[in-house]
Amino acid sequence: MSDRQPTAAGAELPKALASPERFGVVVRPPHYAWDGEHFASDHLVAIERDSVAGLPGRIEVVVEGDFVAVVADSLTAAQDAARNLRLEWRTASGKGHDGSPAMVAETARELANEASSRALPPHRHDYGWPSRLRWGDIPGWVVADCSDHCLTLWVQTLTPEALSQDLMALTGLPAERITLYGASPARASGLGRHCGDDAAMDAALMSRHLGYPVAVWLDAAYDRDRRALGQAQRITLNANVAKSGEITDYHYHQEHASGNIAAVGLWLCGKAPGRRIMTDDRALFSPYAFRKAHHAERRDAQGADPHSEGLAEIQQAFARESFLDEVARDTGQDPLALRLRHLDDARGTELISSVSRRARWGEPPSPTITPPDRLHGRGFAYAQLPDRHQRIPEGVRSAWIADVEVNRVTGEVALTRLVVGQDAGPEVDTSRLQQTLQARVLGSARPLLGHTPAFDEWGDGSESSGSHGGALMETTTPPETGAGSTSLPMPLHEADLSPGVAVIANALFDATGVRFRQPPFTASRVRRALQDPGNPLQGADNGGPARRSGRRWLKVAALTAVASTAAMAWPWKGAIAPIQRPAANLYSAETIERGRLVAAAGDCAACHTAEGGRENAGGRAFETPFGTLYSTNLTPDEGTGIGRWSYAAFERAMRHGIGRDGRHLYPAFPYTAFAKISDADMQALYAYLMAQPAVSAEAPANALSFPFNMRPLLAGWNALYHDPRPFEPSPTQSDLYNRGAYLAEGLGHCSACHTPRNAMGAERRGEHALAGAMVDGWEAPPLNQLSRSPIPWSEAALYDYLRHGGSSLHGVASGPMAPVVAGLGELPEYDVRALAHYVAVQMGAPAGDSDAISAEASALLAAARSGPSDMEEGERLFEGACAACHLDTGTPSFSSAKTSLALNTNLYSEHPDNVIQSILSGTHAEHVPGVGNMPSFADSFSDSQVATLTAYLRARFAPDQAPWQDIASRVATIRQYNNNTPSPHP
Amino acid sequence: MTQTLTLTVNRQAHELAVAPDTPLLNVLRNDLALNGPKYGCGLGECGACSVLVDGMMARACVLPVSAVVGHEILTLEGLVIEGRLDPVQRAFIEAQAAQCGYCLNGMIISIRALLNHTPRPSMAQLRAALEYNLCRCGTHMEILEAAELAVTINAGESLEAPHE
Repeated sequence: MSDRQPTAAGAELPKALASPERFGVVVRPPHYAWDGEHFASDHLVAIERDSVAGLPGRIEVVVEGDFVAVVADSLTAAQDAARNLRLEWRTASGKGHDGSPAMVAETARELANEASSRALPPHRHDYGWPSRLRWGDIPGWVVADCSDHCLTLWVQTLTPEALSQDLMALTGLPAERITLYGASPARASGLGRHCGDDAAMDAALMSRHLGYPVAVWLDAAYDRDRRALGQAQRITLNANVAKSGEITDYHYHQEHASGNIAAVGLWLCGKAPGRRIMTDDRALFSPYAFRKAHHAERRDAQGADPHSEGLAEIQQAFARESFLDEVARDTGQDPLALRLRHLDDARGTELISSVSRRARWGEPPSPTITPPDRLHGRGFAYAQLPDRHQRIPEGVRSAWIADVEVNRVTGEVALTRLVVGQDAGPEVDTSRLQQTLQARVLGSARPLLGHTPAFDEWGDGSESSGSHGGALMETTTPPETGAGSTSLPMPLHEADLSPGVAVIANALFDATGVRFRQPPFTASRVRRALQDPGNPLQGADNGGPARRSGRRWLKVAALTAVASTAAMAWPWKGAIAPIQRPAANLYSAETIERGRLVAAAGDCAACHTAEGGRENAGGRAFETPFGTLYSTNLTPDEGTGIGRWSYAAFERAMRHGIGRDGRHLYPAFPYTAFAKISDADMQALYAYLMAQPAVSAEAPANALSFPFNMRPLLAGWNALYHDPRPFEPSPTQSDLYNRGAYLAEGLGHCSACHTPRNAMGAERRGEHALAGAMVDGWEAPPLNQLSRSPIPWSEAALYDYLRHGGSSLHGVASGPMAPVVAGLGELPEYDVRALAHYVAVQMGAPAGDSDAISAEASALLAAARSGPSDMEEGERLFEGACAACHLDTGTPSFSSAKTSLALNTNLYSEHPDNVIQSILSGTHAEHVPGVGNMPSFADSFSDSQVATLTAYLRARFAPDQAPWQDIASRVATIRQYNNNTPSPHP
Repeated sequence: MTQTLTLTVNRQAHELAVAPDTPLLNVLRNDLALNGPKYGCGLGECGACSVLVDGMMARACVLPVSAVVGHEILTLEGLVIEGRLDPVQRAFIEAQAAQCGYCLNGMIISIRALLNHTPRPSMAQLRAALEYNLCRCGTHMEILEAAELAVTINAGESLEAPHE
């Protein structure tokens, strides 16, 4: 097993934490959530301890309230037990664990009444702050030891004070008896908590019950807690703006007490302290002077700790500074000028002017050529920080200008420049602020930073979800610096960062036209927002960015209108004007790399490369029931390829099956599946293809019979059979499933081969989806519950097959599937796991192979040890040609078949085609080392010998199946088909 | 489409510019002049082409060279260490188990692979191991005799110095 235990090099780390011997996994209720005011969850009704009694090793179940966890000798054993543990839950009622729901409801009503009794000013926006910024920084161990009236923890946390408070509430221990050792650069910023705190609480709960140290694995699985805890804070801002542009009326409503939301475990066990929340109308400090202003805040009646106060200041500054930016842009004013006109403060005015000069605010960017996938923006934010005595009016003025660069395809945001001016106090370390914000707010500073895995995420960081790879474990041992709860010499004070989040949000809006009203601004969130059809950049000119100008904010509204009109007036059947071929280096390297993965997943080259031809230059022939089709040239050659295709033309072809010249494309090109590709992936694919070398190669003319040679008829076909809507992830399915579905249904176009087609060549739907079909002279077996595999598939076996080209219980990939597996070799681990998971769900397959499955396999092998006695010629052929590699002689062999024919799905199929094909063509999996190297027997066997052998194989290796009927005619047909279609493996 | 591949043959690394789907046998014989493995049927049926890959038997005529990159290949020539023949080779000489000799490479390699895995095989196991090694001269009895002798010599040597 790969359960590597945490080891500590640090001398001061207690031994109990350095080498724990017991490992815990929590079992959360089906539903639990924080709704802003209370925590509600399903309640535990019954627990069947017997359900884990039969598992090997010592297994303990910890139950406290609705908190359930399983502890075992290894992480894997604990995960197994957690999967097996049977629990009964009662669905949550409206009431939660919060001590005073009635009171909370009352204050909420108060706010609502107040809001409805006044006529609201026209500008209104809500800003949110998440309860957890992310699940964590890197996957790692969290270890708790609760014994001898002391609690020590090894934990990643950003908020040690908040965590300590939670742990005190759990244990009743005083603060000095709780010690946190940590790997995180604690307090690098006070932007909020992450799920390291939830994992720590889980470990502490388990250790407290059992009295010995327990280790918990923190990884993307904790993202569920992040989602469940939702928003910690929501701030609503309203403003009235006079014709002159002056803000005449300004309302600030803070919906929640500054959000320090306790760890999930604490809520579940019922020990989260009730909070007394009160509404406070005392004027919050605002650096601006408005003619009329109203502030309402809700706060913890017991008073909050300084850390929460600091976080509240950041949240307030984020909402206020984002809102002013929005008002400025909505009313056509320079955001900086709007601030200045409302600033009645000489120190502030002078500072802003000086910072503005230093950053050259308002000057158009230098005329460098930027890749079309890059967007640049600049934002401003201002705040007043409290002085040494926590007095804000006397405090330091702080003005920030940030430049960001957004990759519109990958969604990554880089904070490229930060200018910060403060009019008092020590010099500001801008590079440190920049690093902190990049890491905490944009979340792309390090690989494996915990962003949410999205369905069209490629590789980066998403490896951490899914299984626990050994490699990841290695990155998670405590650091060599050893103990110490703060590893940075001088923690940043929360308030120092207060304009930092707003300045990025404002710059992001300037770059993209999308307003982000809740941090963090991770790549997947940014990308999703950019792909939203409401975004003004969508559908703009040929996929290039909207034209930049020095004063963009005047034009954003107008641009939105123009863009949506352009999208409506999509030239459906007309030609799209040819363009100059884009330069190969037009797109950034990251975008092209993403495109390379997209192309690999879609396996473009498999169809668009002719036998012996240049990659993607087209010309491969496809025999269809309607005639012969030839694939086209995908290289950016201007004459014969797609060199003069604009992005719009490319996208139309991919989604709607219409070429640049307006001609319909035949649905042998699986645009029916490619329509599901996300916009970002489509753009990346275009970028990649356009960056490849151009090859001049004219595809041969198609030879289709009438009426199939009439392309316009396809318009009707499309209306009947084509759904051009992009992929929508299912909210009820896991991220892994959605990723798998996206790959399988879109790019991977599995259904193009594995779903049977109707008489018009359209894929059938409903129960016929993935029900198996004949393609290219091979049978693509069913991938749904109709699978006829002699041993039922498991998710693990599907993964082996897709990743390594073969499964020991099912055999190897061959025929047209071999290049598919080779293409998948380019894809990250997570993607292949996602595909396996999706297919397993379609098949109703279990996660792994049980002992019963192994026994079933042994029985099949035993039954096939000898053949039928009455098929002498078949036996002779088998012994001569096949047995050397397909029977076990007791000698270890490198070149023999690894899986017995008794387990081969093809011999259990309804059709003999794949067996015949394997004999005639052999099996090859180029670029998949060690898999399938069977030679072709087309030249050594006659048709009748192939037929005799095929019948013998069926009788010996699938003895309970009815003999195939039409073998001889299938052999002749397939041989003729192969002779007419140049095989890639002569 | 030629690529540069690195093959480890007889404890030595070779860089070769070959098409990755070339049969291993062709590369051994044509590029490395190792003529111990023979070309027989070309379909993996007869065993004349056998070599050892990671100590296991492999039919070199059906293995694309790309499949053995990163693996240890030993041919009949490589069984000789510092001029000393392998126990199996000595047994075949001692028993004079050759007629035309074309199949002997495969016989010797198969027994070597079996002994690597099963040091004291029974006669039935020896027969099974050689079942799909074809001999056209009818030397089967002498070959089986040599195989038995090989087991004995090999066991004796193993006592002195464990075979790898």
